[in-house]
Formats: sequence, structure tokens, C-alpha cells
Amino acid sequence: MRFRAKIVDLACLNHFSRVINTIAKLAKTCTLRLTVSKLYFILADKVANGGVSLWCELCQGNFFDEFQMEGVAAEHNEIYLELVPENLSRALKTAQSAKAVKIKLTNKHCPCLRVAVELPSISSSSRIVTHDIPVGVIPRRLWNDFREPSVPDFDVSIYLPVLKTMKSVVERMKNLSNSIVIEANLSGEMNLKIETDLVSVTTHFKDLGNPPWASEDGCQSSAQDRDLESMAEARIDIKKLQQLLAGQQVNPTKALCNIVSKRIVHFILLHEDVSLQYFIPALA
Amino acid sequence: CMLHCFLFLLVFGRAIHAIARISDEFWFDPVEKGLALRSVNSSRSAYAYVFFSSMFFQHYCWTAVSQPCQKEKQLSLPCKLIIKSVLPVFRCVNVLERNVEKCSIYTNINDHHITFQLLCKHGVVKTYNLTFQECDSLQAVFAKHMCPNILKVHSRLLADIMIHFPTSQEEVTLSVTPMKVCFKSYTEEDTDFSKTMLTEIQLNPDEFDYFQVGVDSEVTFCLKELRGLLAFSEATSVPVSIHFDISGKPIAFSIEDMVLEASFILATLSDVEKETASQQPPGFSQRQESNGAAVPSKKPQWNGNTRNTASAKPASPLAKQEIRSIPRAMKEDTMGTEGTAMTEAEARAVLEGAAAETHHQKVRRLQWLSYSKYCIFQFHSLFFGAVSCKEKDAISHTFHSLATASDTEEDFGNVPSSQV
Repeated sequence: MRFRAKIVDLACLNHFSRVINTIAKLAKTCTLRLTVSKLYFILADKVANGGVSLWCELCQGNFFDEFQMEGVAAEHNEIYLELVPENLSRALKTAQSAKAVKIKLTNKHCPCLRVAVELPSISSSSRIVTHDIPVGVIPRRLWNDFREPSVPDFDVSIYLPVLKTMKSVVERMKNLSNSIVIEANLSGEMNLKIETDLVSVTTHFKDLGNPPWASEDGCQSSAQDRDLESMAEARIDIKKLQQLLAGQQVNPTKALCNIVSKRIVHFILLHEDVSLQYFIPALA
Repeated sequence: CMLHCFLFLLVFGRAIHAIARISDEFWFDPVEKGLALRSVNSSRSAYAYVFFSSMFFQHYCWTAVSQPCQKEKQLSLPCKLIIKSVLPVFRCVNVLERNVEKCSIYTNINDHHITFQLLCKHGVVKTYNLTFQECDSLQAVFAKHMCPNILKVHSRLLADIMIHFPTSQEEVTLSVTPMKVCFKSYTEEDTDFSKTMLTEIQLNPDEFDYFQVGVDSEVTFCLKELRGLLAFSEATSVPVSIHFDISGKPIAFSIEDMVLEASFILATLSDVEKETASQQPPGFSQRQESNGAAVPSKKPQWNGNTRNTASAKPASPLAKQEIRSIPRAMKEDTMGTEGTAMTEAEARAVLEGAAAETHHQKVRRLQWLSYSKYCIFQFHSLFFGAVSCKEKDAISHTFHSLATASDTEEDFGNVPSSQV
């Protein structure tokens, strides 16, 4: 099992750091899956996470100048590591002016991701800052726990409003309530609602647009029969929603959510080279 | 003794903040040539000394007053202040510079008061009347010039290095050979590597303004205590000199220019010589020098970051230590000798005061500190006041008590207005 990669371009490094920062805000511990062409940050929906799950996919070619990987076996050319994304975020934070960043899987005292940052210095040789981030190697028999989640059979799919606006609305609502109701319909309307003993607040968004989903085997007919005005709703933990919105450092190219009434809300945030899916289950 | 001075607030404020990282109280010691501030932490593993020469101040006036109970050698009586009382004066140092036009410091030994007076914009005068404890002097004995390893570097570089360590990182190891310099997170035998992120920074000797390595060494010191000095030296833009030796011997970070000098002397980790010699990691081999600074073996543990919790009373065993007669030289680092033997009673005092980490069997202590007995005159009280009036001519003023404020500021509302 080997892994080594190198980033030389500063813009790529910044972009990669931003992705890591976003992941760090969403999960304390997560799984990093490495394949020949992609990296995945995965959080499986365990009770400990409050049932949320995360699937973030990056094309390694868009970030790394060098990327070499040898998985656990020839037929299973992948590596699954458990790590604390905050550590990776910290290691990259002070690398903003780096000449190069190398990441390597090592096993000195224990398995580690070694991040070596080469910084410019006044002397002839560069300054090298090395961070050893402990990781856990996930054995192959557990890989099934980290399969890509399928898109749920949603009732309504709708584009999200401008994230900055949505974030400030949700942040203010967070002070008033622990849970928030997201409801939306196929006419491009979405409401964010909170209700407590003292106060209820609703923010209305309209003209958001509904993304077209190509039906695979014609089973989309149920959604097409759906009344355009009828709202699908789910009550979710407001903190989880706020974390998702707060973690976005760059505006995504596309942002949408799929609502399964009273069951789950599935958020999809797409950037040019990164896709992020986040599932928040509905509260009982 | 009267002391009047106006000063560069940012630098002075940063000095106070730097000292605050060492301990809750500090020695305020005006002498003829300038003002010395000193502090030592409760486990005596860190010592800070900042000296502002009289030229640092716009105006510096020091008068010797003979006191009947004084030892002949001392012309002035140093006093001890609680940092928490002084910090609010220099709380937002950056803001201070904009709003404050003048800062004056007065002492009046007879009344046991030190007064900090800030003349601010718009005619606002803030006066802080602080009681001090009388005490004997605190002196460090450390022979910087005898250190085989000396590095000199701009404070900016040092800050750029330390930024890679998390703020929670307590201890850092500096490792040098003539070919390279490395700062790394401190690890020990029982560090849980699977849970800890380790950081290491490798530098080329070229990066240093001055680089002298007489003996390969690896010293571990407390980063938290150092950070104050880093901020302070950045404010002064004076390069930082690092003097050190092998592990176990203190490491000194100092800055010096025409009007001020500062030294932060930190103890470094050394293994206690003991049964488990075979388990010692190579970097920490104990090399005791037989110069009289012998450390009784099996002496435990130390928690270098314990703040002075019992502020009012001295630990009684300390009082029994022999008092060395030390000439009151201005430059403290020119003392010749290296160490003071710690008595058994003292060792116990360190034990009692500090949280023991018995399973580590590692010791970090400044063996050379001489610390005389001190006596306390009275409990301190803190008095804030704001007087709105036109700017007074501060020089001619002796403060005994504070005039009643006609419009007190709100945040001083709940401070008891005790009289002098």
C-alpha cells in the first residue's frame, strides 16, 4: 500500500485547502478513499454523527501535479483511511505561500499521512515544515460501509437560494430554535420555517427553479404527477444545516436539494472539480 | 522613591503581556538607570526580565530614598504587583496608542502605591492606583556567555516558525547540529502517536543572522511561555538571541537594543538519572555537571504551567534558602556562577506547589535561580478611577489618593472604592 502526491501550483493548493476546510467543518473524523483517479471524503451515516452522511468527490488530476497510488491489492486498487480532517486543514493552513506540498503515506510509529511543505526562505535551501497526521487504515472487509449513497426517491428537487443569503437566514434562526423545517415544491418555491412557543418565523424564497432529473426507467412518473404547488417538507437539525452552509467557502456552480417528505433532505453542491453530497435525516 | 515616566505604550504594554504569560505577579523595580520588570513562574521553570533604560522614557525621574530597614546594598525597594491589576491598564495595546497621549507612572513607597495614569484624548484621564507588596529582589543567575550554542534571528522569522505549531502545543524541542536546525513537537516514550499530530520544521543555518553550535544538542522548552516574548520582540523589531546548552540546562531568549533589553530564561527538560536508564530516548541523556548544582535524584516532576494560585503567601520552605549576596548589577546575565543548590525543603516546596506527574519522571527546573525571602505588608486592592478634567501637569503631582470622579465610567462601577 503506497501513496504519494504532490501539489506545486498555488491556485490548486488553495483550492484543495478550501475543500479540506469545508470537510473539516462538517465532520470531526471521516474516511478518505483513494483511487487512481479520485479522492473521496466519506462520512457514513452512523448514529454517532446524528445520522448525517457525507460524500465528497474530487478528481485528483485537477489538484495534484503528481499522484501515485498502490492499493491493498491489484484487484482492489484503493486505499481507505480514517483521519481527522481538521489536522489536514491545519497542516495546509500555513502552506499558503509554499513552493510545493508533498503528501505521503508513511508508517513510522503508526500509519501517518506525512504532509511536507516546502516554503521559500532567504537561504539557498528551502524551509521544510513536516506534519505527521495519524491515520487509521480501514481493512477491506469494512469497505462496504462506505459505498456511494444513492440518490433517494425524492418528492421534490429544487435549486437552493444564494447560499450566502440562506446562511444568514439560518444563522439567525439557529438562535431561536433547534430544528428547522425545509419545505419546497415543484414551482420553485422554498420555505424555511421555525416554530417555538414564543415565535414562528418563515422565510419564503421563490423562482428558484427545479432541476430536471432524467428518469432512468420511467419511474419518474410519480414525481411528474405531483401537484406543482404541493410542498414536500422535512424537519431537520438546524445546526447540521448551518454547518453545511457555513463550511462553503466558495459559491458552488450548482446547489440543489432533494426532499423526501418527512424522511431526509439530500443536498448536492457542485463545483467545477468537486462534488459534495450531504444527507440530513428528518427528526422524528 | 519617586518615578515619573512617559513611555512608548505599545512596547511597554506588550512587555506586560509577555510577562503575564509567565506568572500572575511581577517585580516592579525602578533603579537609577531605568525600570526593571521581573517575573518567575510558580514552578520556577521560567523567568522573565525586561529592563527599560531611562532613555526609553520621555521623562524619567528616580530619587533614592533611604529607608531605615533597608539592607545597605539596596537603594530602592523593589515591589511586587499582581499582573491582573496591571493588565487592564494596557489591555488593548493597539487601541491605546491611538487614544492615549501620555502615560505616567508614579510610585510612592510610603503609601505602597504605584499609580499608572493615562492622559487620553478629549481630556479624559484614567488613573489606576495599585497597591504593591514589598519584597526582596528577584535575581536570576545565568551565564549566557558560557553557552556553547548561540543563535540570532529576527523575531519575524521566529514567529513564522512557531506559527506552524498549534496554539495548544505546549512543549517544543529545538535540535541543532552545525549543519541544521530543527524545531519539532515534543514527544516522549509514551506519547500516543496514533492520536497526536506532530510537526517539524527544518531550517538551514543560513537563515540565522548568527549561528554558532558548539555542541549538538536537543533542548525542550515550553512554547507557551515564549509566545509572549515573540509578540514583544516583534513590537520592538529587535533581533532575538537564543543561548542554550545541552538538555537540562536553561535556554535564554533575549533581545537587546539601546534603550531596552529583555531575557526570558526557560528551563529545559532533562531526564532524572534513574533506574530506567536503558529506556531513555537518545536525545535526553542526562549529563550532570558537578558544579555544586547537584540535583537530588528521583526528584519529581513539575508542571511548568502552574500559575501562582496562592498569591499572597510565600511557601514557607522557600524562606529557609540561603540568601546569596548578589551585587545589584544592571546586567543580570554577567553573573559568573551557574547554579544554586536547591535544598531539600525547596524541592518539597516545588512538589507541593506543582501538580505532580509522577509517571513521567522528567524534571524541568531552573536550578540556578536564587530567590530570597520576601515579606508581605498588606493585601492589595485595586482602584480604578476616571477624572474628567483638563490635562494636568503630571510632573508636579504626587498621588496619595484619588480625587472623587465626577463621572465614573461604567465598567468601574463594581469596584470598591477603598481609600489609600
